[in-house]
Amino acid sequence: MATYTADDDYDFLYKVVLIGDSGVGKSNLLSRFTRNEFSLESKSTIGVEFATRTIHVDDKIVKAQIWDTAGQERYRAITSAYYRGAVGALLVYDVTRHVTFENVERWLKELRDHTDANIVIMLVGNKADLRHLRAVSTEDATAFAEREKTFFMETSALEALNVEDAFTQLLSQIYRVASKKALDVGDDDRSGVPKGQNVNVGSKGDVSEVKKIGCCSS
Amino acid sequence: MSAICLLHSSCVGVVVAAERRKNGGKRRGAGKARRFQIQSNTREQRPGFLKGRSVPGKALLTRSPDPPTSYHRSFSENDAGRNDHLENPLEEEVEDHSSSQKHDNTYAGKLRSSSSGKMMVQQVQNVNIGVRSSDYGRVMKFNKVLSDTTVILDRREAVLRRKRLEYLESVGQFYDLPDSERSDDEINMLRQIAVDCPRTVPDVSFFQQAQVQKSLERILYTWAIRHPASGYVQGINDLVTPFLVIFLSEYLEGGVESWSMSDLSSERISDVEADCYWCLTKLLDGMQDHYTFAQPGIQRLVFKLKELVRRIDEPVARHMEEQGLEFLQFAFRWYNCLLIREILYSIINRLWDTYLAEGDALPDFLVYIYASFLLTWSDELKKLDFQEMVMFLQHLPTQTWADQELEMVLSRAYMWHSMFNNSPNHLAS
Repeated sequence: MATYTADDDYDFLYKVVLIGDSGVGKSNLLSRFTRNEFSLESKSTIGVEFATRTIHVDDKIVKAQIWDTAGQERYRAITSAYYRGAVGALLVYDVTRHVTFENVERWLKELRDHTDANIVIMLVGNKADLRHLRAVSTEDATAFAEREKTFFMETSALEALNVEDAFTQLLSQIYRVASKKALDVGDDDRSGVPKGQNVNVGSKGDVSEVKKIGCCSS
Repeated sequence: MSAICLLHSSCVGVVVAAERRKNGGKRRGAGKARRFQIQSNTREQRPGFLKGRSVPGKALLTRSPDPPTSYHRSFSENDAGRNDHLENPLEEEVEDHSSSQKHDNTYAGKLRSSSSGKMMVQQVQNVNIGVRSSDYGRVMKFNKVLSDTTVILDRREAVLRRKRLEYLESVGQFYDLPDSERSDDEINMLRQIAVDCPRTVPDVSFFQQAQVQKSLERILYTWAIRHPASGYVQGINDLVTPFLVIFLSEYLEGGVESWSMSDLSSERISDVEADCYWCLTKLLDGMQDHYTFAQPGIQRLVFKLKELVRRIDEPVARHMEEQGLEFLQFAFRWYNCLLIREILYSIINRLWDTYLAEGDALPDFLVYIYASFLLTWSDELKKLDFQEMVMFLQHLPTQTWADQELEMVLSRAYMWHSMFNNSPNHLAS
């Protein structure tokens, strides 16, 4: 029933989740990435919220369907339902609150319990603009990321620092993993990419590709 | 008969015998609503809470939907059938410690506020958020209804004092502690509350005042400790704010934006906090399982909502299903925050009127309100695909809404409630 409007022109659709403790800035990272907006007056996220954005990776159009989750533990049962089918995750902590970094380990476990083993994870230290309040050193986080084999980046949703990069890197990596898997497995139905998450609509994308750049990569 | 009018509309003021009757008052809002009555010195608040009760939802069942202005309306047989709630003697009201058997003597409770009616009428004009001229009419109506009976006010004051003291003691016992005396869970909870207080109604600057944040923190933390099954859950911070505004409007002049907590004595603030605490407690009494692990209460109601929508508007339900949209994806927040996130803060009081009036029956009634709310956009929804629908439902176009739009939602909810609630087979798929 869905009609294909310009918004539906993409080669790949990737489901990505944003997780991490309450108040680390997940929603603002999302709004910065999808709408280039930031709000100091944002409310807590209840359950899950959703936004999308389309970017280009190589010559392909990749659409990210991003689920922003509530940080409080009580919501874990609800939000973990949204992990299913996710091929990427941004695991966010707040560089000014050490406890949010300590909890990263639990979040990782949560992810690994509920998602495909191939999920691409990007550890994100947000609020990097608050330099005088920093409580988590870049070195510690880098070491942790290396140990856990995740990507890592420090961002500031407020200053729009690295936000674009963090998402783009994540999506590019997902694209690479997915392509590689597709190659490994071959062309049969069982391409390793989780079903329904990676939708190839083939040539549909070609026509509106230029238009897309205009509207989505500001 | 007329008590029903109150039942669905008044719910003002301070919790009195709230906690004690935890197990009492089965179904219908009757028993509960009484506890939110007006105390004699809260009359100024009344309009804020009562405003907008102009479409008698139940009246729609027996009459064609009038333009929402009539205050002299008749009520349906349904209402008459509920008179059995109203016969208990006044005396039971306040000092009933035995909790369960005595319930629903709403009418008696309502009457307590009547003696102040005349003054009330003169004072309606000056209220907090968005007063409408129709409040005057409502107050007149209530005044008329109420003035027929005598009122016992003396005991209310005592109960109120006791509840306030109890709150104060709880704060001392649980909140005013060094972290070293708290468990890890308690520290986490306090931390979560501290993260959320600054994010509570952030678009109304009044809530950013340090003193307000502190009050919110105390209320929420005390509530959380005293409700260990759920503890604090994000969103509950929103739910306490309508009470805060209403109670403060008694002491602070002008609009909310111009209020300053520093104009109040610490004693006054403490009283207001206590009243908010008990009101929040009352509101959430029947909804504990909305906030316990995995939030089964909400999940159940979301399921019911889906069933009801399917029954009422099959094309929309089918479209949503075809698009893979799950009700949990949008309705979860509705139930968790009782719609406070979905409509303008300035009309929330009208919604709170209904919530409080429904009392124990509220959870079930929420299903009808939210079905009605959702289907406000039935036509729009049918044109949207999955993604557009999720986005649309996350940011519903209610910015221009006033009481009237909300009342349409509520009226329809009452109507559907009467049609379906006692005929569950209608809802079987």
